[in-house]
Amino acid sequence: MSDKQTSDIARDKAARLLKKRGSASSLNTSEAVPPPQQSKPPPPRESRQRHGSISTVSFMDEPSHTDELHPPVKLENTYQMSPTKRFPVSTVRHILKDVLQNYLQEERYEPELCRQMTKTISEVIKARVKDLMVPRYKIICLIHIGQLNNQGLRIGSRCLWDPNNDTFATQDFQNGSLYAVATVYGVYYE
Amino acid sequence: MDDFQTGEETAFVVDEVSNIIKESVEGAIGGNAYQHNKVNQWTSNVVEQCLNQLTKLNKPFKYIVTCVIMQKNGAGLHTASSCFWDNTTDGSCTVRWENKTMYCIVSVFGLAI
Repeated sequence: MSDKQTSDIARDKAARLLKKRGSASSLNTSEAVPPPQQSKPPPPRESRQRHGSISTVSFMDEPSHTDELHPPVKLENTYQMSPTKRFPVSTVRHILKDVLQNYLQEERYEPELCRQMTKTISEVIKARVKDLMVPRYKIICLIHIGQLNNQGLRIGSRCLWDPNNDTFATQDFQNGSLYAVATVYGVYYE
Repeated sequence: MDDFQTGEETAFVVDEVSNIIKESVEGAIGGNAYQHNKVNQWTSNVVEQCLNQLTKLNKPFKYIVTCVIMQKNGAGLHTASSCFWDNTTDGSCTVRWENKTMYCIVSVFGLAI
């Protein structure tokens, strides 16, 4: 087999593996970048459109991926009723502030850049919060980056959870041309 | 194996959730045009209605619902999320909705208890 062939096969295999494995973390993005008018999102599956409104749905590609190498772990009872270490809200807020400033201080709003930036920043924040090693907390990082253009915007969230143990941290950032809002939710896994 | 609950019953079903979201948005905003003084009310209504319907599913989940409403005037908005959780049980769903005057982006995260 020639060298070229081998490397081709290797690359192919790597690509397939990557695709199959995806990332252990889930990443989803949605964008509301205005026109070009032609690039309207595909019509929703059921066309239940009213009032000329459009909606699109996005979610993880494979919500329940199975890892053949690691069979599901059967957890034993811990008889532990509350977290040993609480989710450190103020530390997380500092991380958010730090990351947002580091990444966005000097940037101007550009669609392509910001599209990448949202993904990068959310991954970075997740990694930094993970590094805090808070046991039994699930982490959700959500980031919005938008252009400052005198528009109105409102972000709201509401959660169904245990207010004693679950919590969130949020931080916003603004420079001359863009704004960003990052939120991290820490949800205790019982 | 002593699995008391399996499959559909306890899973995060994206289709189900996306329908709930669409209905909530249509119900709360419907055909209205962007009005600055109403947006506060709309965001609350959307998340509240979503959460209400989600609880009615009676599934062992904690939910996080977020809603962004932005006026359409040519400005761009990007949003991304990344999660550290159990891929086999937990799930998320994001719906982007728009009419002539505004965008509404609703995300639901479901975390198994």
